[in-house]
Amino acid sequence: MKPQRTGIGGKIHRARTIRFSFDGTSYEGHPGDTLASALLANGIVLFGRSFKYHRPRGVVSAGIDEPNALVTVLRGDVREPNIPATTIEIFDGLVAVSQNRFPSLAFDLNAINQLGGKLLGAGFYYKTFMGPVIGPLRGTRFWMFCEHFIRRAAGLGRAGEAHDTARYERVNAFCDVLIVGGGPAGLMAARAAAEKGDRVILAEFDPTFGGSAKWSGETIDGQPADIWTQFVADDLRSMPNVTLLPRTLVWGYYDSDTMAALERVSDHKVKAETGEPRHRSWTIRAGRVILATGALERPIVFPGNDRPGVMLASAAQRYAGEYGITVGSRVAVFTNNDSAYTALAAMKAAECSSLVVVDVRSQISPAARAAASHAGVELLLGQAVVGTRGYPSLSSIKVQRFDPSSLTTSGVARSISVDALLVSGGWSPTLHLASQAGGRPVWDEEIQAFTPPQPLQNWMAAGAARGAFSTAEAVAEGYAAGGGETADDAEPLPETEPTILLSKPARVFEIKAKGKAFVDFQHDVTADDVRLAHQEGFVSVEHLKRYTTLGMGTDQGKTSNVPGLAIMAEVSGRQIPEVGTTRFRPPYAPVSIGALAAERFGDLKPERLTPMHDWHVEQGAEMMPAGLWFRPRIYAQPGETIEQSYVRETRAARNEAGIVDVSTLGKIAVQGPDAALFLDRVYTNTFSTLPINKARYGLMLREDGFVLDDGTTWRLGQNEFLMTTTTANAGKVMQHLEYLLDVIWPDLKVHLTSVTDQWAGAAIGGPRAREILSTCVQGTKVDNATLPFMGIVHGTIAQVPVMICRLSFSGEMAFEVYCGAGHGQHVWNALLSAGQGFGLVAYGMEALGTMRIEKGHVTGAEIDGRTTARDLHLDWMLSKKKSFVGSAMMDREGLSGPDRLQLVGLVSLDGRALSGGAHIVEHVDPEAPSHSLGHVTAACYSPSLGKYIGLALVSGGKGRRETRAFVSDPLRNRFGPVEIVSHHMFDPQGTRMHG
Amino acid sequence: MLITCPYCGPRDVSEFTYQGDGNRTRPDPDSTDLGAWNRYVYDRVNIAGEHNEIWQHSGGCRMHIAITRSTTTHKISSVRAMRDAGPGAGQ
Amino acid sequence: MVEQLSPLGAAYRPGRHGRVNDTVGATLSERQPGSIVQLAAWSGQEDAMRALIKDISGLELPATSGGGTAEPAKAAFGIAPGKVLLIDDTDGIFADYSAALPENIGVVTDLSHGRSAIRIVGPSAEWVLSKLFAIDFTSGAFPVGAGRSTTHHDIFTQMQRSGEDQFDLYVFRSFARSFWQTLCHAAGEVGYEVI
Repeated sequence: MKPQRTGIGGKIHRARTIRFSFDGTSYEGHPGDTLASALLANGIVLFGRSFKYHRPRGVVSAGIDEPNALVTVLRGDVREPNIPATTIEIFDGLVAVSQNRFPSLAFDLNAINQLGGKLLGAGFYYKTFMGPVIGPLRGTRFWMFCEHFIRRAAGLGRAGEAHDTARYERVNAFCDVLIVGGGPAGLMAARAAAEKGDRVILAEFDPTFGGSAKWSGETIDGQPADIWTQFVADDLRSMPNVTLLPRTLVWGYYDSDTMAALERVSDHKVKAETGEPRHRSWTIRAGRVILATGALERPIVFPGNDRPGVMLASAAQRYAGEYGITVGSRVAVFTNNDSAYTALAAMKAAECSSLVVVDVRSQISPAARAAASHAGVELLLGQAVVGTRGYPSLSSIKVQRFDPSSLTTSGVARSISVDALLVSGGWSPTLHLASQAGGRPVWDEEIQAFTPPQPLQNWMAAGAARGAFSTAEAVAEGYAAGGGETADDAEPLPETEPTILLSKPARVFEIKAKGKAFVDFQHDVTADDVRLAHQEGFVSVEHLKRYTTLGMGTDQGKTSNVPGLAIMAEVSGRQIPEVGTTRFRPPYAPVSIGALAAERFGDLKPERLTPMHDWHVEQGAEMMPAGLWFRPRIYAQPGETIEQSYVRETRAARNEAGIVDVSTLGKIAVQGPDAALFLDRVYTNTFSTLPINKARYGLMLREDGFVLDDGTTWRLGQNEFLMTTTTANAGKVMQHLEYLLDVIWPDLKVHLTSVTDQWAGAAIGGPRAREILSTCVQGTKVDNATLPFMGIVHGTIAQVPVMICRLSFSGEMAFEVYCGAGHGQHVWNALLSAGQGFGLVAYGMEALGTMRIEKGHVTGAEIDGRTTARDLHLDWMLSKKKSFVGSAMMDREGLSGPDRLQLVGLVSLDGRALSGGAHIVEHVDPEAPSHSLGHVTAACYSPSLGKYIGLALVSGGKGRRETRAFVSDPLRNRFGPVEIVSHHMFDPQGTRMHG
Repeated sequence: MLITCPYCGPRDVSEFTYQGDGNRTRPDPDSTDLGAWNRYVYDRVNIAGEHNEIWQHSGGCRMHIAITRSTTTHKISSVRAMRDAGPGAGQ
Repeated sequence: MVEQLSPLGAAYRPGRHGRVNDTVGATLSERQPGSIVQLAAWSGQEDAMRALIKDISGLELPATSGGGTAEPAKAAFGIAPGKVLLIDDTDGIFADYSAALPENIGVVTDLSHGRSAIRIVGPSAEWVLSKLFAIDFTSGAFPVGAGRSTTHHDIFTQMQRSGEDQFDLYVFRSFARSFWQTLCHAAGEVGYEVI
């Protein structure tokens, strides 16, 4: 018989029907169903094909540990592969398809791989496709050639290419106690902590709270356990200090008890509400953490243990109890411990026609014997399942006598006709988060499982997560962990049934017999693969994992970890604790990348906009990023190339007047009685002598003597300076100065404030700039006497207060006009209309760059962290009268001397453009590149000189002036002669800017 | 990881910037002892255990703080405002 | 007096947005206070600075980290050791403090153009802000009047809880539009209104 829905039972809502499709066929289910339970209810047993051998696979578990039943969910064109069908809530219109099969799930051509089983062992691909030592496919080339075909045949679901239109968000939360897991232990912990008044967050992976109590069929506090859990959850929901997070996976335990969780907000809905995210990534900063994460049942490794119809005993029990499904009519149980006997009553209630128990132990507890006789089963003690038959799903098992001490089978194999085999190999506490928090898990001999380590962070485990498997222990430990009263007069704990069927398994993990016995179902790793790995010298468990890929699938070995270690221990003659376990790392289960990106999805960085941004865009400026800022590159006119645009803008600025938005320059208010002294210490030159309302060009070095930044600083008052920095270095300079004040000179009375955004800045320059200003500035003159070079005046433009400093980056007579940022566009407009009739043109970064290259002014391309003041010919700025940051280190050996890379100008001699990054060489030979003398830092067409020019850092550059060299740029295939010249290529005397 | 800023309280580590080894001593500004400057600029201790570090709460109040942190467990045993840490502390 | 131009540009779209609910989860607005100034006291002069603020603005600030107080037309709160951000609907407060603040107490910096003031108010204000900032917004941890300096995604933000469900955020003007868009996006889930 195929699996089917029972007439009654389960927690599904049978009154309502949900329609969904799987592999193109339409099915029906009910609210409360997972895709796995709904498909089982429809008699589907084949869920997918295995990774390597394309073997038919069914469902193994009923939860997040599922290794086999991975499907792809389609939402329009968006496909999400590799989701366990056991974790998908069905909804109307759900479309899911199976994976790794061609052409169809029932008939898969690649199943031929099964015949080559011996060949496809661990490391098969590495060994086979290593390639010959010589020839065109030598070494890894052969692998790269074959990889494409292999990857198509092996693997999981296919990732989609459609743009994911879903919304993802993240949120921060704080609490006194985070409880992970909403079973009886977690619910009791939450109740105890909440009653004490703690701020509690309770996170549960499933859509509903209750954990195993939802399907165990037991009684708690005199009520059916699932009803009791609902009452407790409802109580918690009504408390203001409790946040319940269903559908939430806590997947990471980070330092300081910072927890990462993923909430599936709308995956279960036909359509998300407007503005509602699909997933929400929670960062929960918890005062303490209670891990009530339960335990996972383990399979036993035996030949044919992957056949559809073979599943974990607890899974069958859950399908019966929670989903009202009988997984078969003739059911066998194969176990090494008592816990599987709890499934017998559920199977009987689910109307199985025959039941048989195969137990590797020859002696079992009276409780187990009683459970077996109560269910009326045939009990085969001291026996083991050594094989399975049936295609595509189970039809019979082979059973043989088994000796649990020698782990050997003997006697005649008996065949038993069954359609479901429920396996229990014991239970492993879910200690992944505890392991992530640090420390080594501890092996517990009694339960044959790893238990959580000694806490290195502020967490405790309660109930099954600690290895205490009874409901009574879950309730008591949860309550105690939550901080509940345990005094004699305290309210008694909810009464639970005495649990007598506990997992104290025989030390049997594997039944050795002929045939493929799978350890890791998802990656098709067999017991023989583990043995082979050991034979080939992979002794460490970490190496074993990487060589065999055991536990490296999307399920991260939740079911395969301990059986794999047990086999490893056996072949190496060690005990399991000696072999150790791999360190668990986040995430516990796959997490959507979208949720991690959240609001950064498609928008990696915020944008910084100047006050005149919208005007630039309206003028058709091509905007370019400068750090987080956006600045106009060129204001292109129709039909212009970039070069034509910037040449036109540069000509206008040099011949008439130009205006450029310089609001992005870093600006720092340096205030206080020690401000001047502070500036003397951080700049190479002196600022204490600067008169009020004057500016000075300043140079800063790092402590190691290299140049940090340059800029002008304006003295606005006795104790008040406005420092400007380059756009790129504003943050770095601020941090440098704050460090010095906080750490080195805490005695100085200086406050620093970033005022970059307070000011809008417009630099207006050119032969007619002063005329333009004089027509629009009120309240001050701007003539040479009132506003000399580096002078500052205050006035108004169009009723707005402005501060004007006469300084020049372009080399023209130029003025920087500053006003409040909120008035920036207003003043900009006023300057533009004043400039009408004077030929004023707005120019962008390319023209700005062109003019500075012509003048040999340095920027970040030359101040690259490797250049000294001398390299840049700025040694005239190094004061000899005082020490300053970097003064001791700047004269070190190696930082001076004739071979240093020094700033030079370049003129192209072949009339072609130069390119930044090109090397400078003495002789050019594309086939045999010679030693590089340096590199081009910036290049442009100079309209003033009528040539292509550039700036470069060249070894011994100063001594090479007026000599010939070559640019060598093999990447862009640009070779050609240049003349090395002084970096002052235009108006070296500065007559234009001094006027 | 959380760092408890003396002004702002516990904040996520992403709000902070590591500003270097707190065990260094800056030579007198007028000193020309290149060895001492070299040690200050380049030498860093690399301790498995309690380490003195300087951090800046760059995404908050912007103050520099002296932190003692275990490099093996990330446990922070002491946090002080740099300006209150006393002369020479982590210069 | 020439009015300041809002940095929000076309991103400012008055009206209801996001999820359609019976109630509005959050109301977002750009405030345009006449004055935003930063007052920075020298170490040991913090009490004198607070006394001066009381004299000039009538605002009484608690001597705690981030301590502040908010009135409808003016507010102040601590942003860093010795530093207070003071906001006033009146123009020209900078000049008042500039004239009154003795050099031995501290310095004043005008940020009236440098910071943009964004207000979020409503039952879901805490929830929306929790999406952007890693600080505890519950009123026990963040009382009315108090201030915080924190960061969202490169956007440095100083904020004050100016009411039970009301927060005033001060961001660098150049980031204001980007931040506003992010804030609106985060508020979509609860349904928001821009006024």
